[in-house]
Amino acid sequence: MNIQLLEYALKYLQRNFFKNIFIFVVLTLMTWLLASMFFITNSMKYELNLTLDTLPDIILQHKKGGISSTIDESISMQILEIPGVESSQPRVWGYYYFEKAEVYFSILGIDEFEKQNRQTLLNIVDTQNIESNSMIVGQGVAKILEQNYYKEYFNFIKEDGSVMKVYIGGTFKSQTLLESNDMIVMDKNSVRDLFGYASGEATDIAIKVTNKLEVPTVALKITQNYPNLRVLTNEDIRVSYENIFNYKNGLFLALFVSSIFTFFIIVYDRLSGMSSAQKREIGILKAIGWRVEDVLKAKLYESLIISIFAYLLGIFLAFSFVYLLNAPLLKDIFIGYSQMKPAFELAFLVDFQTLFLLFFLSVPIYVIATIIPSWKVATLDADEVMR
Amino acid sequence: MIQVINLSKSFKDGVDVLKNVSIDFKEGELVIIKGKSGSGKSTLLSLLAGLSKPTSGEVIVDSKHISKLPDHFSSAYRRDNIGIIFQKYNLIPDISVKENILLPLVPLNLSLGEINNKALNVMKLFHIEHKANELVKNLSGGEQQRTAIARANVANPKIILADEPTANLDEKLSLSFIEMLKQMKSERKTIIVATHDPLFFDLDFVDRVIDFDS
Repeated sequence: MNIQLLEYALKYLQRNFFKNIFIFVVLTLMTWLLASMFFITNSMKYELNLTLDTLPDIILQHKKGGISSTIDESISMQILEIPGVESSQPRVWGYYYFEKAEVYFSILGIDEFEKQNRQTLLNIVDTQNIESNSMIVGQGVAKILEQNYYKEYFNFIKEDGSVMKVYIGGTFKSQTLLESNDMIVMDKNSVRDLFGYASGEATDIAIKVTNKLEVPTVALKITQNYPNLRVLTNEDIRVSYENIFNYKNGLFLALFVSSIFTFFIIVYDRLSGMSSAQKREIGILKAIGWRVEDVLKAKLYESLIISIFAYLLGIFLAFSFVYLLNAPLLKDIFIGYSQMKPAFELAFLVDFQTLFLLFFLSVPIYVIATIIPSWKVATLDADEVMR
Repeated sequence: MIQVINLSKSFKDGVDVLKNVSIDFKEGELVIIKGKSGSGKSTLLSLLAGLSKPTSGEVIVDSKHISKLPDHFSSAYRRDNIGIIFQKYNLIPDISVKENILLPLVPLNLSLGEINNKALNVMKLFHIEHKANELVKNLSGGEQQRTAIARANVANPKIILADEPTANLDEKLSLSFIEMLKQMKSERKTIIVATHDPLFFDLDFVDRVIDFDS
């Protein structure tokens, strides 16, 4: 590397300080914004995929007046007789609104350890001992309860208005944070008691199918046999999650387009020409013996210094913003419903594809936008440029 | 050393600035080209430096056809052989005297010590070392000219081209420039000065005066 040429490039940047600092700030902000959005969506996708992988193959719900109602537990035994069904498990769950903190908790009841949930639960809970009057809570729930002085137990208000005291037995591990964050798991009968479900009633029935390719066939058979039930396959739920996510991605796209637009205004400004002083300087350099390639090298150094430092700073700020500060404001765009749920921490992920994409969206484009006008001027006769 | 053969230059607007000019310049010679504004003196220097291309004719320096060199090689030719002192000095105003003087050496990737030595030598030679760190835009006309002369000499070229070097100077500073010219001639450089300043016409160390008006 030619150190003197690098020094000249640095000096040039210093001489045009305000213009270059403006470009640097805009490039940094653009990289920060885009990187933050990518980091948030990557973390959320990661969380959602983990969650979707743990979903049952089919969920059966009962509807009354178009609204989900409780389902008779005994149907699960009849479902087991359908060829291909490995297990059929009635689930008891619901949402509990904690008024003081203005958040909803998802409460899931389990029979000791249900087969349907056991494996998943053992993988994601930091205790293996659940007492009948205790509950396992998500980390967000634990945090909110602690903030409200419920460190060992919580007093639920039951459906009939009376109080139900449940002890905190443990918390979920940090994996699957997005979905488990607002979750409380407790004994099935306790959940029935809390929500006022009658004995033998369940919220829905979770079905596992031995051969995953058979899921649509099994779902069709259930629909034919039980036309009063709503059949939701894993794929239906995945699509519904993705639809919500794609809607959020639309907002992402709007921010993305505005950032890119700003960037291209800078690029256009660079491409649309140089000031007469800048042209004259290139003419002088040519006249005193600089070759076109020397001029372009100096411009390359200039543009690389600005764009690479802006890129690195933007990425650093995005990492800090998303993973240290947990993306205040920006995260709410993507998980608006979090206002009704406990806040969750974004899982730390380093996705090199995203880093490369952002690099190629900013650095080479800026470098080219700087070099092309310089090249146009440098290839003219020095005499003509200086005149 | 320098052969100008049937050199012509016309501008885009159709004006013929030079028409079939032929001149030989010998090594170590100091030649004054005199003439009114628009007589083609500056254009000739520009063609000798390879800053522009002739419409027809040739410039040959040490058997090299300068006027036919592609841009890449004509820049390298200037860097290695030519020092130019422009009428308006053509310095970069917002960098220091020393940085301006060093500019021709930048692409050569020399060591910092070597580059500093060369700069210091020419700054001493042309009495501008006391302003080394001063920004050019803060210099007087005479100081700017000495900076331009130092820059033209820093790479130790064998040919010096000066275009109206005293046009912006008072008589005292013009005489000072003539002293510097003498110094450059004593170093066996081939010097071609385009000027209409009468101070140059009767100097005893000038080898030839070519009148472009005739």
